[in-house]
Amino acid sequence: MKAFRLLSRTKLYWGLVIICLIGALTSPMTSSGKNIFLSYGNLTDVLRQVSITGLVATGMTMVILLGGIDLSVGSVMGFATVICAMLLTKPGWTAASVMGVPAAVAVSGAAVALLARFILRGLARGRDVSAGRRADIVLSPLRGVWMPALLGLIAAVAVAWFTVSQVQVKFGVLGVLLVTPCLALLLGAINGLLVVSGRLQPFIVTLAMMVSALGIARLTAGQDNAVVPVYTGSNATAAFEFLRSMLWGVLPVPSVFFLVAIVLFGAILRFTTFGRYAYAIGGNVEAAKLSGIKVGQVQFTAYLLSGLLAGIAGVLFVAQYRQGKPDAGTGLELDAIAAVVIGGTSLMGGRGGLAGTFVGVLIFGLLSDILQLQNIDSNVQLLMKGLIIVGTVLVQEQTVGHLIARWRFSRSHGLPADPKSADPDRLPSATKARFAREDLDEAS
Amino acid sequence: MQTRARAEIVDIGRTAGTGAPSASVILVAERVSKSFAGVNALQDVDFDLRRGEVHALMGENGAGKSTLMKILAGVHADYDGDIRIDGQSAAFTGVRDAEEAGVAIIHQELNLVPELSVADNIFLGREPLIAGVLIDRRRMIRAAERLLRRLGLAIAPESRLADLRVGEQQLVEIAKALSLNARILIMDEPTSALSSSECARLFKIVRQLSADGVAIIYTSHRIEEVLDLADRVTVLRDGRRVVTADIGDLSRGAIIAAMVGRDMAASERGTTARDNAVVLAVKDLTLDTLGPQGWRRILHGVSFELRSGEILGIAGLLGAGRTEILESIFGVARGRRGGTIAINGAAAGIASPAEAYRLGVALVSEDRKERGLHLGDTICDNIALPSIGAISRFGLRAFAAERALAADMVKRLSVRCTGIGQMTASLSGGNQQKIVIGKWLATSPRILLLDEPTRGIDIGAKLEIYRLIFDLAAQGLGIVVVTSEMPELLLLSDRILVMCEGRQTGILRRENATQEAVMRLAAPGGATQSWGGAI
Repeated sequence: MKAFRLLSRTKLYWGLVIICLIGALTSPMTSSGKNIFLSYGNLTDVLRQVSITGLVATGMTMVILLGGIDLSVGSVMGFATVICAMLLTKPGWTAASVMGVPAAVAVSGAAVALLARFILRGLARGRDVSAGRRADIVLSPLRGVWMPALLGLIAAVAVAWFTVSQVQVKFGVLGVLLVTPCLALLLGAINGLLVVSGRLQPFIVTLAMMVSALGIARLTAGQDNAVVPVYTGSNATAAFEFLRSMLWGVLPVPSVFFLVAIVLFGAILRFTTFGRYAYAIGGNVEAAKLSGIKVGQVQFTAYLLSGLLAGIAGVLFVAQYRQGKPDAGTGLELDAIAAVVIGGTSLMGGRGGLAGTFVGVLIFGLLSDILQLQNIDSNVQLLMKGLIIVGTVLVQEQTVGHLIARWRFSRSHGLPADPKSADPDRLPSATKARFAREDLDEAS
Repeated sequence: MQTRARAEIVDIGRTAGTGAPSASVILVAERVSKSFAGVNALQDVDFDLRRGEVHALMGENGAGKSTLMKILAGVHADYDGDIRIDGQSAAFTGVRDAEEAGVAIIHQELNLVPELSVADNIFLGREPLIAGVLIDRRRMIRAAERLLRRLGLAIAPESRLADLRVGEQQLVEIAKALSLNARILIMDEPTSALSSSECARLFKIVRQLSADGVAIIYTSHRIEEVLDLADRVTVLRDGRRVVTADIGDLSRGAIIAAMVGRDMAASERGTTARDNAVVLAVKDLTLDTLGPQGWRRILHGVSFELRSGEILGIAGLLGAGRTEILESIFGVARGRRGGTIAINGAAAGIASPAEAYRLGVALVSEDRKERGLHLGDTICDNIALPSIGAISRFGLRAFAAERALAADMVKRLSVRCTGIGQMTASLSGGNQQKIVIGKWLATSPRILLLDEPTRGIDIGAKLEIYRLIFDLAAQGLGIVVVTSEMPELLLLSDRILVMCEGRQTGILRRENATQEAVMRLAAPGGATQSWGGAI
């Protein structure tokens, strides 16, 4: 039974193992007899391929954990590619720099101020973290307001100086990496604001943003469906090539961004109060609110981060495909949601995590790699993707443990197991909870 | 089945008067046993039901009441033992089977569709049809009308169920059962969500049904109610039958003893705290909420003071504004709040639970499953949740401190669990309630607001919660308790604030507080009314 439990607990990774096995077994060989699928180059290439979806799925995971959804990430990323490409290739005050520079100044100023305040608060709190209610930490105006404000102002001035100096010559790598995500973050902030303060359905808010961000992107690009090509070395700085290179010849740079995001936000979800609040809100928003959690703040932050990550993904897209275009992210939001869901995160919120999303993203990446190695039509890939989504979710909902318990039960009793008492995991969570209660009631 | 159901509708209104109640036995269950995953929920239980009697089924949570009722109603099909109805063996394979045989069950959680009309709900899945396709709405509404009239309900069959009060919805469930021509009606905790006047109406209907010859199996946690209503009582404990007797042969104490298996007298409490410092002062509290008809005043100027170590009870009928007082103080009431609230002498306009928390105010809400707990989380996570901000630094969780906090609470409240890693969903109601209280005690509050702290939990756990409340008051907390149960109110409160239709009608000191005095103040228009629980 222990083995079964282990199997059930690690079921998330079995899909990954299976797909790797399939890949290794069906892979064509090189002339020297080496397995192409298992070659280092191929595997790192898969990582590179999934990085953009992966980054977006990371943000999506947090939003979904909170019981929300962000449909706008694809469009926001498309918008980001346009901004990034324009900043790289067009000097002077274009639509991109007119929007981007103030956004970067405002966002970095605010971010530094908030960070400073957060750190000062933490310092004031002292080391004593004994249990129980504590007196509220009241920071003196100097520490609570003036010092953060000053630091924020310094940051804002520094960023303003830096970005304005870049406007005249074209933007460099650092410049686009700073400005583009800041703009995307602001779009995420609008999502968050409408969801939290407007009390609107996340689905509808982000749907509206999905449509309007595409519109803004097209307006920014200048003409409908315009593609802004980026030729590093001729119309853009050669240094931008860095974002598609191999870092020290070990990992593709985009995948470094992806891995760092997964680890960083995974740690945030696991080890910080923010993460705990996210799960609590997703699990039962009403109880979370009554527990004194500032639900709005947490939700707002999640949409903000989702936008930010979509913005970074946009920069990586430009580096990867050497162009920015408004519809670069069409369908990306659905890929991201699919990866999150097959990673075991519940669309109802409160259950799941980034480890699952990482696996989900990799499963899709490996799948298309295998099919490409076999020269299989890309439309077949779509079909396979659909099947995998349904398959994994089926396995996840009927947890392996329960399937086994049911099988053992029916064997030992010689009758078909009562599906209701043997398999509470198939019920929606509220019913399930009631079920678990009743069963205990009866059994105790 | 469809045809049969439709045929019945025609003479639903006339099922009354099947003759005078006789002592003839309608249902016999012999040596019924049932186990879940190897644990015996019922063991060799004998049970019989007479035509036209109200038979109360009593027992603590987990005693096997629900299991027995579900077996009788065909919900559980696999059990050992014999069940005969009218002498004929009844082996139901499903609820539909049981309904065919005239057995209907009304679950504690209502099985109705809020967005549908009353008539639609009554005949859901059994709608009278025209030419087998179209729903015959006129016939359905007429039939529903007859049923509602029989229950003495002044509700239009076309009204949307969600617009009815909980008590009325309950009666719609009964109408639904009657539409099945039920001869045996099983009612699982029908009064747990009802106000006293709604209870009174329900009791009237139950008596009338039994006079009509319907046999009723009835469960409730309120013993007074059972003493009042039942003809016979069967007590279950740990899946076995302890006793079956006429209600006249058993005292309240004997029933409790049979349920709990030991004598349990509620502890009395003498000391009050008249000279302690005022921790909470509420003055001219008003609350307006925006409804479909515009702004409506829910609270009309409530004023009281709460001293450290004092227990203030808030009494009133359902809808009198009791919960709204607590929610206004805690900053979660919907609407516009007026008046002043002072905590420890300082004016406090609490606008959110986060602020309440900082000021040391805690609210244990009425609905522990929906609003109090994260059922899918562990005990530890639930208890620590309001405190993790305070025990962390730089936003990093202090896992060891969280666990220590939870372990300490579990010990202090003697929660029965396998460990702090147990999921709260798998705890019994009483232990879940302790977790909700514990998660707030962990924040070291000065003021504890309790809304129906013992709703739906068994009597043993109730007494433990009472003892806990007394302990907390002795430690100097100011406690406000809202409760619908009169014995609980009189037992706990040092003073009782009585509400009637949003107005404060008086504050009674413990020595003047009697059931009659409270009722006089709580009843609209000063008329006396029967209360949910008599002493």
